[in-house]
Amino acid sequence: MGPMIRGYVRVVDAVNYRIGRIMMYGIFVMVGILLWSSISKTFFLPSLWTLEAAQFAMVAYYIMGGPYSLQMGSNVRMDLFYGEWSAKKKAWVDAFTIFVLIFYLGVLLYGAIESTSYSLEYGVRSRTAWRPYMWPIKVVMCIGFFLMLLQAISEFFKDIAVIRGETL
Amino acid sequence: MSYDLIALFMFSTMMLMLMTGQRVFGAIGGVAALAALALWGTGGSDIPFSASMKLMNWYPLLTLPMFIFMGYVLSESKIADDLYKMFHVWMGPVRGGLAIGTIGLMVLVSAMNGLSVAGMAIGATIALPELLKRGYDKRMVTGVIQAGSSLGILVPPSVVLVLYAMIARQPVGQLWLAGVLPGLLMASMFIAYIYIRCRIQPELGPVLPPEERRVSTREKFRLLRAGLLPLVIFATMMVPFINGWTSLVESSAIGAMAAFVAAVLKGRMNRQVFEVSVRQTLAISCMFMWIILAALGFGAVFDGLGAVQAIEGLFTEQLGLNPWMILILMQLSFLVMGTFLDDTAMLVIVAPLYVPLVAALGFDLIWYGILYTITTQIAYMTPPFGYNLFLMRAMAPPEISLRDIYSSILPFVLVMILALALIMIFPDIAMWLPNYVYGK
Amino acid sequence: AKPKIRWRMQTYAGPALAEHVIKPAIESFNKIAGDEMQIELYFADQLVPTGELFRALQKGTIDAVQSDDDSMASPTEVTVFGGYFPFASRYSLDVPVLFNQYGLAEIWEKEYAKVGVKHISAGAWDPCHFATKKPINSLDDLKGKRVFTFPTAGRFMSQFGVVPVSLPWEDIEVAVQTGELDGIAWSGITEDYTVGWADVTDYFLTNNISGAWAGSFFANMDRYNALPEHLKELLKVTLDSSHYYRQWWYWGGEAELRVNGSKMKLTTIPDEEWAEVEKAAKVFWDEIAKESETKAKVIQIFKDYGELMEKAGRPYRYS
Ligand code: NA
Ligand code: NA
Repeated sequence: MGPMIRGYVRVVDAVNYRIGRIMMYGIFVMVGILLWSSISKTFFLPSLWTLEAAQFAMVAYYIMGGPYSLQMGSNVRMDLFYGEWSAKKKAWVDAFTIFVLIFYLGVLLYGAIESTSYSLEYGVRSRTAWRPYMWPIKVVMCIGFFLMLLQAISEFFKDIAVIRGETL
Repeated sequence: MSYDLIALFMFSTMMLMLMTGQRVFGAIGGVAALAALALWGTGGSDIPFSASMKLMNWYPLLTLPMFIFMGYVLSESKIADDLYKMFHVWMGPVRGGLAIGTIGLMVLVSAMNGLSVAGMAIGATIALPELLKRGYDKRMVTGVIQAGSSLGILVPPSVVLVLYAMIARQPVGQLWLAGVLPGLLMASMFIAYIYIRCRIQPELGPVLPPEERRVSTREKFRLLRAGLLPLVIFATMMVPFINGWTSLVESSAIGAMAAFVAAVLKGRMNRQVFEVSVRQTLAISCMFMWIILAALGFGAVFDGLGAVQAIEGLFTEQLGLNPWMILILMQLSFLVMGTFLDDTAMLVIVAPLYVPLVAALGFDLIWYGILYTITTQIAYMTPPFGYNLFLMRAMAPPEISLRDIYSSILPFVLVMILALALIMIFPDIAMWLPNYVYGK
Repeated sequence: AKPKIRWRMQTYAGPALAEHVIKPAIESFNKIAGDEMQIELYFADQLVPTGELFRALQKGTIDAVQSDDDSMASPTEVTVFGGYFPFASRYSLDVPVLFNQYGLAEIWEKEYAKVGVKHISAGAWDPCHFATKKPINSLDDLKGKRVFTFPTAGRFMSQFGVVPVSLPWEDIEVAVQTGELDGIAWSGITEDYTVGWADVTDYFLTNNISGAWAGSFFANMDRYNALPEHLKELLKVTLDSSHYYRQWWYWGGEAELRVNGSKMKLTTIPDEEWAEVEKAAKVFWDEIAKESETKAKVIQIFKDYGELMEKAGRPYRYS
């Protein structure tokens, strides 16, 4: 594998690893928001923003954390046949089928960009009383889908490396 | 293309993609995106993304990371050790008693988390080695742990019932309560099975050797106190929820905090436990969320292309069956689909097709939720595709082969099918408690 | 045989409500149009979540939509007036009169054409009442109540301490039970009973913040223009029949269920106290009127119409 590809895999994996390591603490952000929601509701007036803010946090958590989970190999596969194959055979099949995944991520990213630019153009706000602008969370989603796409391509290169008996 | 043909095309392409072993969310999402671009017409390319906005609106999904975190804290911090010891000491003298105790352990663990992951982890790391050491039959105990941990999604809190509630638009509180008695019924049936089997074949579950049984009564009662912990965690979470003081998602956050605080107070929260819990929560949440995202996209495309009508037509008109036969056929189709479709994906793709049908046939959707969950449990543990199977394979010690794992579940699946039949015949097993509490 | 033209329409309503408010009209359309054209009906959030609905309509992902301007947040000057604009109507007949005799239809048509959407027609739907778990007998009882309502109604009612919450329409019943909501300010009592909200709430407040809401049918402009004239006509006539259905369904249903319904207890805030809310609405109107020329024009129409109705006296207005 050429130095370009090696460099790509190294950089993409490193960036996504760092982001994932930060995003994993998002669980405490969600817990914090929801605990505040319980407290404010019990002792003061209910907060307007908590449920929606927790939803935004959840979206950021799983979309921005997605590339790291892909790196960790935590996405299930149906391993009826796959589980029995050798590492090389797995890599061969994956090297083809991963384009289905890449295609999906491409369509997701396209839709996200369309929707984000619409939200920016019309200044779309959420319909709640809190009325937050929708574009910031959509920008986060665009970035997350883009990083996921980069990670999937990195996985493809790793499969090619396995097929050629190299290590990246 | 006709509706039937579209339905057939989308399902078979997805099946084929899944067979290749590509990541489940990629296979499902890829087929959805392809069908959206090729068959939808103008604007189809937006459907996969708009599923992510739909997912964001499904606010009860916030409970998913909470319950996963709770499960990991419980299993990683080993605060369940004392619980196991309690059962060990109290049940040891009975034939098969340790296996029976393990079921009891699983019921308590189920009350503290919403998935089967924690039960599986606790069972495989704490109970399994102990049972094997004492000469229990490996197939029997492997089955016990898989069956027992599946109670996690039937005994409240339950993530599967939350997902079902969102799809069927039914109240989570009533669904959770409806799961209590069927969960206990099934646990009792597992216990009865173990007890009878060990009476017939004592070698499967020998009693504890006398020297191990010599425990002072004082010590015995001290251990009983360990059983309080799950009750306290369960109550911290459920009491405010049932009383309407906190909402569902708020309660799940309280539960996650309660588990965390319990681990800290017991001095079990170290760097390692913290790291694994936080990291694995992200990993497992992402796994679920991305599948749900892809499956929601698939569902919308499938629906918008008219394929849902084809499925409904098939069941209600073309086959010409009575409501009960349709219901049974649907349950069977879940089991068949469970062989090639991931459990979460099955919930998000297939349940929306069936729920309106079930309602139209005049069945109660809360009751059906319980039938549905038990069927899901069976799917969770039957090969080749089962979340519990995956976990068992990953966690079991090397002397337990894939064959052992596969064959261990058979008797328990039969028991579960029996329980399913009982709840179908006597709906009150599920409905009595919610009706009593919510006073209908 | 496969129809020549196929439309996807998404309604704001879930299956139970759609049974009344849209399905009969679509069935008529499909029966008459036959192989020429079929409209497939989808329920709330079924294909596209409400937040993305308007864009989907503009783009053609969905061909037609039944909704109010407010809930689907259409990027137009008239958005705030859709749904329940506070106290803009007293009776369900006010809405078609405002649209057909006072010029709202033209304003709506023009505003939507600007963003590539055909406004087919608007109709009067039900009044906006509170349905809650705890009784409301005074304005004070509204304080701190987490209520599902229309965005504009929520903005208006928040000055009385109401905490407006927005969720997917289909999740409301569950949200009341899971404690996310204390109640609903969205509909009349007929809808409360039809969709199951009466099963999860115990009290119905007889004061309303609007006598009827304005809801509309919209279509993607290109898809609409591509229809032959007779199908455009058929579309208009059958969709109008849905507005007509609501006129009698709600008018009869509201009275019947107030008197004979057993699931909800009626409560009332005294007229003198409620007058405070009505007065606040006039202030709110003036604030809205300042936002743009079009909005000022619509507000002026409401004022002129209201004045005329007062002068006409009984049975148009009783005070
Ligand atoms: Na549970
Ligand atoms: Na299975």
